[in-house]
Amino acid sequence: MKAWFALLAHSARRSRMFLLVTAALLAAFQILLAFAAKELLELNTFSGLAALVPDFMRQVFGTSLLTLMSFRGMACLGFFHIAIVAFLVGLIISMATELAGEVETRFLDVVLAHPLARHWIITRTIALLVGCVVLLLGAMMLGTWAGLHWLVASDLARESFAVVPQLALNLGILLLSWGGLALMLAAIARRRNIAAATASLLAMASYMIDLISQAWKPLKPVARYSLFHYYNSLNLITGSRQVTHDVLILACVAAIAFALSYLFFQYRDL
Amino acid sequence: MPAPAISIRGLTKRYGRLTAVRDLALEVNQGEIFGFLGLNGAGNTTTIRILLDLLRPNGGTASIMGHDCQGNGLQVRALVGYLPGEVNFYGDMTGREVLDLLGRLQQRPVSTEYRRELQQRLDLPEADLRRRLREYSTGMKRKLGLIQAFQGDPPLLILDEPTEGLDPLIQESFYDLLFEVRRKGRTVFMSSHVLSEVERVCERIGLIRTGQLALLAVVDDLHKMAHRKVRVTFSSDVAARPGNLPPEYELIDLQPRSWTLRIRGTLGPLMAALAGLPVSDVDVAEARLEEVLIRYYREEKP
Repeated sequence: MKAWFALLAHSARRSRMFLLVTAALLAAFQILLAFAAKELLELNTFSGLAALVPDFMRQVFGTSLLTLMSFRGMACLGFFHIAIVAFLVGLIISMATELAGEVETRFLDVVLAHPLARHWIITRTIALLVGCVVLLLGAMMLGTWAGLHWLVASDLARESFAVVPQLALNLGILLLSWGGLALMLAAIARRRNIAAATASLLAMASYMIDLISQAWKPLKPVARYSLFHYYNSLNLITGSRQVTHDVLILACVAAIAFALSYLFFQYRDL
Repeated sequence: MPAPAISIRGLTKRYGRLTAVRDLALEVNQGEIFGFLGLNGAGNTTTIRILLDLLRPNGGTASIMGHDCQGNGLQVRALVGYLPGEVNFYGDMTGREVLDLLGRLQQRPVSTEYRRELQQRLDLPEADLRRRLREYSTGMKRKLGLIQAFQGDPPLLILDEPTEGLDPLIQESFYDLLFEVRRKGRTVFMSSHVLSEVERVCERIGLIRTGQLALLAVVDDLHKMAHRKVRVTFSSDVAARPGNLPPEYELIDLQPRSWTLRIRGTLGPLMAALAGLPVSDVDVAEARLEEVLIRYYREEKP
């Protein structure tokens, strides 16, 4: 256990600065969003923005699209904006595939030549992934909370913030499920690039299938196999969808991927 | 009788169609320095990685101090200090961080005094340990690798090409270190391509060729298998040819004032042949291990 903590501390120390800066940026972004939402609310612009959405877009994507043109939608934008979600998924994939990099550079040869069981290497990576998700989403929640409480009336702030923990939970489990899949690939790969590229391509294909399926009905049955299908942020904001079902499915995917990572890594040649 | 430091029986490792190690059998006694030789790709590193449970064999068993390397990997690795062939740590780590991290991964406590002594003997001062590894030369990385392998004072040291990249002075310090740990009863299992080094420090050697053990011998016995070159000089012309020489003697040059011979075995018959002749000098060139080993490398019988 002492050895495991030493390894965990070493890995955490290597990425701490990047993660702390990222967390601060994400928190600042959420504060800015709250500020922008307040400005738009005061200018009474949301209804005007909603009116700009073309009819065919409403028909294709449903009324949930209009959520984006609301105060709450704007304040929570960071939790579902494509750039932020893509960045977070990419970051998690990068951290999860560090394992394959350690195999590739033979750093693990020296580490595992010591009395340290292989499963601790996977446990270390999972602990890092969970820590990273908690830190980043915690910072985003904190940023949203701070922005809303500083800038808008308390009733509106409380009402708008109510959905944020659900969004964070759903997004966090989505990230962990991608982390699990990437870790599983890293557990069998000899090259980090291959593991990371495969996981990234899977994530991109998964996102596109889910996106296109919203507009093209024949793709709907396939979309159930996309992990992004289980993170429906706009419906969460409108309250038309419960988080429990989606979180359970994603948690199962993450758990299975983590379990397979342990199994593959235990029996592989390094 | 103590268990062998290393015991390998029928070890086989295949990578797809390629058989890297084939039915290897080997024992290394506790307290000896054993040289494990072979050309690149012969299977040395694969064998070492199986001992450390980094690779899983397709057949056979390997054990260290009586513990099965695959079944009791943790106990095995608690007994081993390992220097890999390529020392790859993160470039943004300092030497000190590497030693501290790897020291904490050991079950046995690392003595600060012993580590400092190792630093001193291998010439890696504190100032160098504070530098990031990306600034290290190959030799400095090797020194760091050696310190991390030795720092826990383990009963068994497995060293893969330990002197590669070290300058001659540090090589000398390293050899002294090896003799010292042997005096303390530690075992050293080292792979090397430097035959003069093996000749100097190892008591026994195993030579692996295309995954199989081609030779297992005591270094002194190998010397006896090697030819010595002997040149006899006379003070006046000698017309006679040396007669009744054993078959291990080969006359390679015959001059009125000198004979040159290649001899395997003792010099007794030569001395008898020289009796009564006007010998002014006998020059015996030391037998060289390379001569024997290179024949094994080339798949010849000596």
